[in-house]
Amino acid sequence: MFKIPKGKEVPLGCVTPAPVGEQPMMITGNWREFRPLLEPEKCDLCMNCIVFCPDACFQLDDAEEKVVLNEKYCKGCNICINECAPGALTAAYELDFDDGVVRLDKPF
Amino acid sequence: MAKEMMLSGCASSAQAAKMAKVEVISSYPIRPYTAIMMELSKMVANGELDAEFVHGEGEHGQLSIVLGAAAAGARALTGSSGVGVTYAFENYSPIAGGRIPLQMMIADRALDPPGDFGSEHTDAMSCRDQGWLMGWAETPQEAFDNCLINYRVGEDHRVLLPQFVCQDGYFVSHIPGPVSLPEQSQVDEFLPPYNLPHPLDPKRPVSHGPQIRPDQGTIMDIQRAQAMLDAPAVIREAIDDYNRIFGRKYAPFVEEYMTDDAEIAFFLMGAHTMTARHAVRHLRAKGVKIGLVKLRFVRPWPTEEVAQALSKFKAVGVVETSTSYGGAMRGGNLLHEVRASLYELPQRPLTTSFMAGLGGEMVSLEDFYHMTEVLSKAVREGKTKKTVYWVGFEAED
Repeated sequence: MFKIPKGKEVPLGCVTPAPVGEQPMMITGNWREFRPLLEPEKCDLCMNCIVFCPDACFQLDDAEEKVVLNEKYCKGCNICINECAPGALTAAYELDFDDGVVRLDKPF
Repeated sequence: MAKEMMLSGCASSAQAAKMAKVEVISSYPIRPYTAIMMELSKMVANGELDAEFVHGEGEHGQLSIVLGAAAAGARALTGSSGVGVTYAFENYSPIAGGRIPLQMMIADRALDPPGDFGSEHTDAMSCRDQGWLMGWAETPQEAFDNCLINYRVGEDHRVLLPQFVCQDGYFVSHIPGPVSLPEQSQVDEFLPPYNLPHPLDPKRPVSHGPQIRPDQGTIMDIQRAQAMLDAPAVIREAIDDYNRIFGRKYAPFVEEYMTDDAEIAFFLMGAHTMTARHAVRHLRAKGVKIGLVKLRFVRPWPTEEVAQALSKFKAVGVVETSTSYGGAMRGGNLLHEVRASLYELPQRPLTTSFMAGLGGEMVSLEDFYHMTEVLSKAVREGKTKKTVYWVGFEAED
């Protein structure tokens, strides 16, 4: 009756394997208009970004002693920029990047 | 041996749930459905039924509780009436979309304004397009049977949809009627154990209800649409088995009464069908060529069966027990779908609708006789004057 194009399949009831660190079927980074940019030399590892990010996009890299942004799931809410104590995060317009994800047909 | 008892619709529904061996029940009080939960809580307290009985903090919580339970692999039951049904509305689409086949028993109650408590189908009918199976019972016996039939169809892996199992408040829910209670072995033969293909299980971890993208939403909609397309064949199988095992004579979708050579017919569902049967019988004795067609499933809507059943009449009166304010027919919900079902026929009967049984009013024999006069006049004149008659409240017929 219906024909689902190849690559567009969704599992029954959208039940997906768990636990997974990333959910490749549910990438939401292309909703973003602004990208948070981190200046590492200003970062004092206060970790406010890790605590406040609603999508858990910031993680602490213990070995390197730095915070890392997972851009695939950042929706560009800018909460991290507002909460960053040392002012190490700034908002950059997504289309200023060659690999800018917003409004592209195939972002990933 | 089957045991014959006089039971109300609520009591018979509780008996059916017990024989279906429901494992988790969530409850919140609102009349008239609440008598189902009164019966079930007694069974659990007395040790007759081994089930978790959980109190919700409201109907939204009730539906969330059974969603979790059924997602974890337990056969789950809940229910409500009137504004309780609409308070839980947010949960209906995710339960159907997540393909969790739990059951909700609804004993109809008019929606407010303000504070009516009589039976009217608008509460459940407002939820009919969320991807749940839905149908009405005419008697306590049918309420019992529909519980088992709906669990069987909904849990079938070709369907996997939740079910609204509806009965008119008071007319069915609170008036005792004869109910044949089968042997447990018959129920076990008909209804296999609940087996969700994608349960929440620590040994095989899965995510239910994740965030999805807009382009995945269409495909989720298609999954539900396909399940509704696949459901009729499963319903037919289940009804055949039910009739064989329990000795009933149900038609899967539409039941006809005295329709041989009938020129006019009532089309309706639920409790008022019983009064309509008597009206038809009395009118037949007077020589009026009238019959009735009873609808057993609103979702999936049996388009072809309705068209086939109604095509042989000259005029059909659709008795509405729900409201669709501002809709195409200016009255209830059923005539929309009846006319859509008839549209492709080369020769269509005249159709009109009767707003009756609203707010819990009974539909009397006199009301049905009056509707018969309107239909007979339409046949004589070859046209219907109006698409909707508010029975007893029209300035002129």
